Formats: sequence, C-alpha cells, structure tokens
Amino acid sequence: MNQENTRRFSFFLNSVKNVYSIFLSMGRKAKKTKVFFLFSFLPVVIAFIIKFNQIFSGRGKIQGIYIFSNLIVVFYLQFLILILALFFGTSVASEETEGQTLTYLTTRPIPKSAIVLGKYSAYTTLVILMMSVGVLLSFFILNVDNLGNFSLYKILLRDVIVLGLGIICYTAFFTFIGTFLKKSILVGLVFSFGWENVIQYFPGSTQRFSIIHYLKSLLPAPRTGRFSFLMFRLEPSPTGTAIVMLFLITGIFLGLACLLFSQKEYILED
Amino acid sequence: MKPIVETKNLSKWYGNVLGLSDVSLQIEPGIIGILGPNGAGKSTFLKLITGQIKPNIGNVRVKGQPIRNNYHLFSIMGFCPERDFFYEEMTGWKFITSLLKLHHFSQSEVEIRAQKALEIVELVEDKDRVIRSYSRGMRQRLKFAQAIAHDPEIMVLDEPLSGLDPLGRRKIIHLIKSYKGEGRTIIVSSHVLPEIEAMTKRIILIHQGKIFAQGDIHYIRDLIDTHPHIISIKCSDARQLASKFIQQDYVLKVHFSSSNDSLLIETNNRDKLFSLLPSVSIENKIDVDEITSPDDNLQAVFDYLVGK
Repeated sequence: MNQENTRRFSFFLNSVKNVYSIFLSMGRKAKKTKVFFLFSFLPVVIAFIIKFNQIFSGRGKIQGIYIFSNLIVVFYLQFLILILALFFGTSVASEETEGQTLTYLTTRPIPKSAIVLGKYSAYTTLVILMMSVGVLLSFFILNVDNLGNFSLYKILLRDVIVLGLGIICYTAFFTFIGTFLKKSILVGLVFSFGWENVIQYFPGSTQRFSIIHYLKSLLPAPRTGRFSFLMFRLEPSPTGTAIVMLFLITGIFLGLACLLFSQKEYILED
Repeated sequence: MKPIVETKNLSKWYGNVLGLSDVSLQIEPGIIGILGPNGAGKSTFLKLITGQIKPNIGNVRVKGQPIRNNYHLFSIMGFCPERDFFYEEMTGWKFITSLLKLHHFSQSEVEIRAQKALEIVELVEDKDRVIRSYSRGMRQRLKFAQAIAHDPEIMVLDEPLSGLDPLGRRKIIHLIKSYKGEGRTIIVSSHVLPEIEAMTKRIILIHQGKIFAQGDIHYIRDLIDTHPHIISIKCSDARQLASKFIQQDYVLKVHFSSSNDSLLIETNNRDKLFSLLPSVSIENKIDVDEITSPDDNLQAVFDYLVGK
C-alpha cells in the first residue's frame, strides 16, 4: 500500500514537473511576460530619478536604504506584486478556456490538479524572477554610494523574501479566482485595490482578513519620516504566525483551485 | 466482441439547448463514422466520450471504466478537436513534444515520436515555424499529429478532414484506414458523407441530438438513393433535353430556368438519369455545359429522411 502511494505521489510530482517545464518555457517567451517585465521596471525608473536628483541637486540627506524600503512597500508590496500575481494567477485557468486550448491538456494522462499546480509554479517562478530583477536594480541604484555596507544586503534579502512570499500567496489566491470566475480580472482588481488596501487599516482583528497584513508584519516597524504613513499598521502579527498564515492561505486557495478545476465543467464557447 | 466505448442513456443539455438525447450504443474496434449535419450533436457526443464534459443523464465507459476524471485512460486515447485553436507562439515541434512530455515519455522517446508524427502529417520541414504562421491545412495536420503521436489504441477524431486540400484528405483517409488493420478503435466525425464513406462502412447517424440510424453505410446509401434528387443541367437546348427525359418513369418533375438555358430535373434514380444523359446529348447534339445537384448535401437528405 505504501509503495503504491509512493508510486502515485511520484507520478503526480512528475506530472506537475512536466507541466511546469512546458509553461515556464512558454511563459518566458509570451508577449504578456515581456510587457509585464517592462512594467516591473517602473520602480527602477523612479529609483533612478530620485538618485539622479539627489546627486545633482546636492540634497542627499535621505539615506538610499530608507528610500528603498519605502519603494518596496509603496510600489512593490501594495501595487506591483498584486498586478503581476493577478494577471499571471488568473491566467492559469482562464488562458486555457479563453484560448480554447484546455482540450490539449485535459486529454493527457495527467491529473487536472497537476495542470493547476504546474502552471501555478511556472508563473510564480516567472513573476518572482521579474520582480527580483527590478528590486535588485532599484537597490543598487539607490545605494550606489554605500554598496560596501553589508548590513544593507540583509535588508535586501529580507525584502526579496517578503515579496516572494507575497507573490506565492497572491498568485495562489488569484489562481483560485481564475478557476472559479469568468470575469476574474475585474474581481481581482477590486480585491487588490479595494479590499487589500482598505481592510489592512481596520482596527482589531479585521485587518487579519487581508494578506497584506501578514506581509507587512514581516517588515520592521515604520521609521518616522515623511513616508511613514504608508507603513501604517495597527497590530502586526508575530513573524511565525505571519509566515504560517501566508503558507496556510496559499495552501487553502491552491487546494480549492485544484478541486474546482478538476470538478468544474468548462464549456468552451463557439 | 467486447465494446471499447459504451454509452447508456447519454443526454446533455446546454441550458435550454439540447446537445444530445438518450444515446445508448456500443462501439467495437475498427473505424466508426459519426455522421450528421452541423449542430447535430457530433462534437457533444465526442466530448462526452472523452470526458471533457459531464452528461446530465447517463454514463460513458471506455474499456469498462468510467471516463470522467479518469486521466489514466488518456495514455491509450488520442483526441483531435474540431476547433482550430493552438498555443500560437509555439513552434509545431514544441507543440508536439510538449504534449508528448505529458505522457511521461523520456526525452529521447518524445523526440522520436514527435519526429514520426510530424513525418506522417508531412510537417517536418515546417516544424520550427511558429503555429501562428501555419496555413489552415497545416494546422489541421498538426492537430491530427498530436492525436496520434503517442500511438493510441483509441482515436477520437472530430472533423479531422476539414480545411485539408484534396491530396491532404486522401492521405489522412489512407492513414486512418491503415490503423483499422492494427486492431485500433477509431471514432471519426464528419458532416460530409463521401468523407465517411471513404473511411468506413460502419456509421452512426446523428440528427438533432439523437441517434437517427446506425449500421452499415449501405443502409443510409439506400435511404439516400430513394430520396428524390434535383439535378440542374445547363445545356444548349434545355427543352429538347427535357422532352427526352420526361418519358422516363424515374423522372418526377422538370422545371426550366427563366433564361431557358438550364433545366431542373427531379428524379428518384440519379444513377439511371446520369447513365442516360451522355447518349441523349450525343444523339441530339445537345452541348451540356454544367451538371450540379443543388440538394446533394447531408442536411437535405436528413430533412427528407426526418420528414419521411
């Protein structure tokens, strides 16, 4: 029995791996990826303008790492990773139904849940890579005069990990939305810039119903300064709880997406 | 012989629209043609037997196992969809190898099988072009290649000949027929009777979501042959030609066109009419410019049969 389970598990993993390699390769060359890769350079341009202004105006009082931390929260955490996760997560199912290519995948000897998990993993990898390039460039531009300070790299690593966790969690949520709803992008936008941006500021336990609450809980308390209001949060969860919650949310929504994709009947329209 | 595909009381609705109604049948190895006009329910039937959609009533078993969510069965099944959709940015080679990967073949086996499938459909020279740049016929052949590349025992082919040129059609027909001798089960749909006729004698007629008839193709041929046909003949002297034909008992009606250069003959024996035409035209020195059969399509035949 144990051997049978191991065989089944290894078959499932192999199916996920095969789907992953196909869609990682296809996703890399997709027009959508190229457009979003350029889009993810927006904070890099902003970082460059700020640094350029600092150098040539001679007003370099604000530390590069301080600006970088705010850039992470304002552009990456509350905007860019949401947009990337939304468009790539929802497309796990919707691009197959809208493009009417679903038949090619569902008539293969692989479980439908392997299709969801393989595509999810491929797109999450792509989004993390896209985001990391922009973050690294922004970091180096803003801290160009202080690159010998190794303590800064710890901050960089922490921020990349938090953003990575955010992408993993949000993409799982949007994958579920994509398997569930036809107009998933619209619902995703309302969730991203409505629910997530509002509920985190609610007092008490209500804020714990947002994903961003757990992500912000992993970042240090805001320093005083002109951007501190952007880091505003009422009651951060402990680091361990935040990490567990992020993985739990990811697991629940991925599980639901797999279940729904396996059971739902997708009628491809003429 | 044990049935490979078995359906019991299979019914499917799309909202208020009937897709298929109470279809019970057993399909044995060999080639079976699913024939019916557009919108008859052929694709619905094929999607149901490949588990892509759920029946509202009834069930489908393939080799004795339920098909829905039984992904293991697809290692012995190949499906060629009717719709012309692809991962457009992929090359033909990448498309076939990617789908073969999902059958858990080793990389070398994937490449061997992809090469063989592309050779069969004669796309080897174009394998490195993106699918977006393929012609309609090439796309159709690529769809066929992905259905046969893993060498399945059961092939479900939805309108595999549409969009192909006459030579391409002949090759695919020849290929499908060659599979018959290998003990495989091939279920192929079409709305064109001669296409099905060229592949198999066993047919299932679907009309308005119901199995209208099934069995040997001679049965439907007989039905069709008793169906009054309208033949249009464009010639140099339509009235003289009509005077010769009107004497025949198999000619039911004759109409003249307003320009008087053609006539419409309604007959219940097309073959006799066609065999008489050359001698009449030669003896009376009538030049025949064109012969067409305006109602020689499956829909007209079905309408006639249903009305009957």
